[in-house]
Amino acid sequence: MKISKRLYSYYMVWPALLIYSLFFVLPTIIGLFYSFTDWRLDRTELHFNGWTNFKTIFSDSTLLLALKNTVIFAVVTVIGKNVIGIALAVALNMKLKTRNGLRAIFYSPSILSIMVISIVFTPMLRSDGTINKLFEAVGLGSLSQAWLTDPAIVIFTIAAVSIWQTAGFQMAIYLAGLQSISKEYYEAATIDGAGSWKSFVNITLPLLLPAININVMLTLIGGLKVFSEVFVLTGGGPGNASQVVGTIILRSFGEGSWGLGTAVNTLLFVAVTIISIPLLMFMRRKEVTE
Amino acid sequence: MNATLRKSWRTYLVEIVMLLGSLIVLLPILIMVLGSFKTSAEVLDFSLKLPKEWLFSNYQKVYEEGNLLRAFLNGILITGVSSIVNIVTTSAASFVLVRRESRLSNALYLFFFMGLIAPMSTITTIRVVQWLGFYGSITSVILIYAALNTAFSVFLYNGFIKSIPKALDEVAFLEGAGMFSVFFRIIIPLIVPVNATVAIMVFMSVWNDITIPIYFLTDSSDWTMPLSVYNFYGKYSRDWNLIFADLVLTSLPVFILYLFAQKYIVGGLTAGAVKG
Repeated sequence: MKISKRLYSYYMVWPALLIYSLFFVLPTIIGLFYSFTDWRLDRTELHFNGWTNFKTIFSDSTLLLALKNTVIFAVVTVIGKNVIGIALAVALNMKLKTRNGLRAIFYSPSILSIMVISIVFTPMLRSDGTINKLFEAVGLGSLSQAWLTDPAIVIFTIAAVSIWQTAGFQMAIYLAGLQSISKEYYEAATIDGAGSWKSFVNITLPLLLPAININVMLTLIGGLKVFSEVFVLTGGGPGNASQVVGTIILRSFGEGSWGLGTAVNTLLFVAVTIISIPLLMFMRRKEVTE
Repeated sequence: MNATLRKSWRTYLVEIVMLLGSLIVLLPILIMVLGSFKTSAEVLDFSLKLPKEWLFSNYQKVYEEGNLLRAFLNGILITGVSSIVNIVTTSAASFVLVRRESRLSNALYLFFFMGLIAPMSTITTIRVVQWLGFYGSITSVILIYAALNTAFSVFLYNGFIKSIPKALDEVAFLEGAGMFSVFFRIIIPLIVPVNATVAIMVFMSVWNDITIPIYFLTDSSDWTMPLSVYNFYGKYSRDWNLIFADLVLTSLPVFILYLFAQKYIVGGLTAGAVKG
């Protein structure tokens, strides 16, 4: 006996749809429109100014540097969080005595606020800070750096702090993925004489692909949206050496150049959306095969 | 025999490497916790040395001067209400979207799903909130958080409600129940674990966030703990012992929540991420 689907009324969708549309979708849509205007704090009237804002972005050296830093941050954190995340997951999926405690320790930084983490790291990353002292103590004094004040490395330092914080979160997703792989595959491989590296490359990695895909997308999208780490650790400095898209938007907002800030936001929106389409297609395909 | 021996050696080696690795994670956290009990001179070496004398008075001082109770209550209000609004609206929406199985419901699901990916447009959100006349208020922040987390929650509920057999609804409908009573009597009791997962994930991300308060809370008396700690950090930049104590107090609520709710977090990750 079939019941009519009409019994499920769309009334129940309305509240979520309303909140989401009003406070997320509507600002995004008017943002596309405002990106092409001279919207400023001191203007009472808006004028279309075509591609002017985007031309400004691509000719201003600070804004270009912010775009470059955002990409560097995203790429470095994607690689770091996922390589370390997989390594931790594989190691902590073995029968270690301290396994549960270690899992909890590695996961724990990801529950803390980026604000807390960044403030804790600030004194440690100074030239005379804990990290340089540790290098000196083990005879690697030449590795000492001015972590947060050298313009050439500051964005990598911020990326490293971010990796430190959330590699354990990626680990948790990879662990869930590893636990869904049947042990029989490994037994068969051992009988065929495959070593552990071969098993890892031929069994673990391919079967972990759904988790890898989701984690890479999560870290990539999160990396492009980076803001809080930079805001607290350097505020975009020294000079403008560690500005990213997120801090530029705040700066434009503070300066009252709202049209320009919105254009930067639109650029981020377009980049993230283009990158994410493969994820959507992958997940839809997975739904079909299930 | 030889193979198992080699295997156990390798397990020991991995265990030692992992224990050493965990020090990298523990070191900054221990420096923070130990430093919070030191004097303002002693803390400056930022090391793992135990405090000569455990100064619990640092915590008292921070509590009095950091306006922490106010920030804590602001955080509870903002996080609590936005989590509840989020859970009520998204579980109801997901229920209908999953059961309808129509072109429109699929399109709406995708529409919500886009929110998982797209970055928010901050400056124009301020504009919308100004049009509505409540820019700077806690209400605006609550609604923005509810909106920002809609996509994630619909995604989690969607996966879970799909696994509840439709036959349960059908029996109730045949006995004359309406949609609301099916939702409240059948679906709600079955999705209690997902509710917990969504509540905890939303709670943690909202509690820890600083971006939205920076843009939307213009009055510092409305600030939440992570932002007020930043304020404190600016004001007391010489007293690292007090800063550390403030950081520990700011982290305590989420840490306690994590201890009690661990299984829901892991459950949520598994359900959402791996099963898809």
